[in-house]
Amino acid sequence: MYTAAFMVTVGVIGWVTVLVVSDTLERQAQRGLENEASALVDEFKAGGRQDLEAALAGRFANPLTHIRYVLIGVDGRALLGDETLLPYGRDPAGSVASRGAGPRTAARALSDGSRLVVADDLADVRHVEAVIRRAFLIALVIAGALGLGTGSLLSTALLRRLDAITRTAEAVVAGDLTQRITHTGSKDEFDRLAVTLNRMLDRIDGLMVNLRQVSTDIAHDLRTPLSRLRQNLETTNRRAATLDDYRVAVEQAVEETDRILDIFSALLRIAQIEATTLRKGFHPVNLSELFHTVADAYAAPASDGGRTLAADITADVWVQADQDLLTQLFVNLVENALLHTPQRSTVTLELSVRDRSVVAAVCDDGPGIPATEREKVLRRFYRLERSRYGPGNGLGLSLAAAVAELHGGQLTLSDAQPGLRASIAFTRELIL
Amino acid sequence: MKILAVEDDALTLALLVSSLGEAGHEVEQAGDGHTGLTLACGRAHDVAVIDRMLPGIDGLELVRRLRAAGVQTPVLFLTTMGGISDRVDGLEAGGDDYLVKPFAFAELLARIHALARRPPLGRVETVLHAAGIELDLVTRRVSRSGQTVDLQPREFSLLEFLMRNAGQIVTRRQLLESVWGFHFDPKTNIVETHMSRLRAKLNSNGEPDPIGTIRGAGYLLHALMA
Repeated sequence: MYTAAFMVTVGVIGWVTVLVVSDTLERQAQRGLENEASALVDEFKAGGRQDLEAALAGRFANPLTHIRYVLIGVDGRALLGDETLLPYGRDPAGSVASRGAGPRTAARALSDGSRLVVADDLADVRHVEAVIRRAFLIALVIAGALGLGTGSLLSTALLRRLDAITRTAEAVVAGDLTQRITHTGSKDEFDRLAVTLNRMLDRIDGLMVNLRQVSTDIAHDLRTPLSRLRQNLETTNRRAATLDDYRVAVEQAVEETDRILDIFSALLRIAQIEATTLRKGFHPVNLSELFHTVADAYAAPASDGGRTLAADITADVWVQADQDLLTQLFVNLVENALLHTPQRSTVTLELSVRDRSVVAAVCDDGPGIPATEREKVLRRFYRLERSRYGPGNGLGLSLAAAVAELHGGQLTLSDAQPGLRASIAFTRELIL
Repeated sequence: MKILAVEDDALTLALLVSSLGEAGHEVEQAGDGHTGLTLACGRAHDVAVIDRMLPGIDGLELVRRLRAAGVQTPVLFLTTMGGISDRVDGLEAGGDDYLVKPFAFAELLARIHALARRPPLGRVETVLHAAGIELDLVTRRVSRSGQTVDLQPREFSLLEFLMRNAGQIVTRRQLLESVWGFHFDPKTNIVETHMSRLRAKLNSNGEPDPIGTIRGAGYLLHALMA
């Protein structure tokens, strides 16, 4: 297919070349004939018939020329030269430029009534044409052979590499997400494609692992309170004697159900926030005021718990945001800090503006989170070993991370030396 | 109180009707948006409790049409959990309050009471009186039995909400929303902490506590305490 197209191209180039070259050569030949005819007419004008005949005789004696001449008398018969050219002398006005068959000619009428015809069979031009044609024919054959050869080589190579991709894709479809496309390291298009597809597979694999993890975690984290609930109800059924026993049991059951519903609600919220791309419900929010409200709400509970809540808040910072979600984000971070630091710790709310970028952070001087765990605590239900049996459901930071992402930022956990610093940088487009 | 309940889940609706009836209210019920709209326009209710998702016309549209028709009945939206920006949509459509399912019945009752007690438009109070406490909204001064009580801004707002709803139970979530603007449930006992500080300040003269704690429901400012 490609070979045929290639050969047609070569053929067309050849044909056009022949046309252009022969046309140019013919024009040149014609000009030469006209010049020759004019030169002979000049001879006639200078020395009359005698000089002309002498000049023609000289031309006839030259073996190298293939120009033919005829001098036609008033009676229409050849006086001198090639009689076969007689038909070209019938138009005394000028030259008959004939293309294709026959020679090129130039004719002149002389003042004594005779006519002169100069003709060239263009043997040279035809010869050049033939040479060019032959050259292109040979080129065509070679090109065809080469085209077929390299084409088939190339397509086998391409097919082999496509096959590798297809095989991997089929394996993935069949369920083996560990398969990756092998690449040659040549950095060509196929390698780049393979690398991109592999990255996509990595991402899918990560999501699948995450999904499995979350499903398992949900099952586990809900099974515990549900079985506790069931056990309590069963015990009550068996042992409760008084109305008060029942009342206590029902109250406990309601509390336990509320905890389960809290988990569900948090999971749904996270899922919904993660699925939201539209910043619907975004309004201008005074972030400074929001920070003051949170700081204000938690100052008393913090001091009751033996901790200090400090605030370093730049005034009048406005962002485009969902106020409720943003409030919950910072409440979660503050609660997290208060929950996971020992007494006499200080938790600081910071809101700063630097180079037109807004950074909101909650820092503490507690034990912090080991670098290797920092990413994991953002996952749903993930809890550090030391806080596994404390209060909380392991969803607070996941929710905070989802809200941060909705606001175009990222929840970053870093070492506050000592302690933990949880910060969000707002994207510029949301800063007002 | 005459209450209109619009809810498509038959079981939830039956529970609503019976519980509100037990609490001494007269309830009209509708299972879909069209019936709800007809009933709401037909007769004056003190409060309408309307589910967001309804067959026929949904809750938002129902309230939009009600407001367009000039019906000013206070509306409490009910919604299933998890929605973001739902609350804002509900309020923009003309709703007055918003409650996420599942909820404690005490919560619903407290909110219905709060809505029904809203002062009519145009009447502005600047000084609130209850339980021998005087709260001046303009000077932001509070006194009990003539003695000035120094309150932090949030303690002031807390007391203000209790006084506006004196004699009625207010829930923790109502307080979180009105005082702090928190439309979610924090893990920390913010309300309890501030309530105990407020109490300590109000009772520093050894007077009896005007604020009652109702277990599993919320708080109550005794209106008629001297």
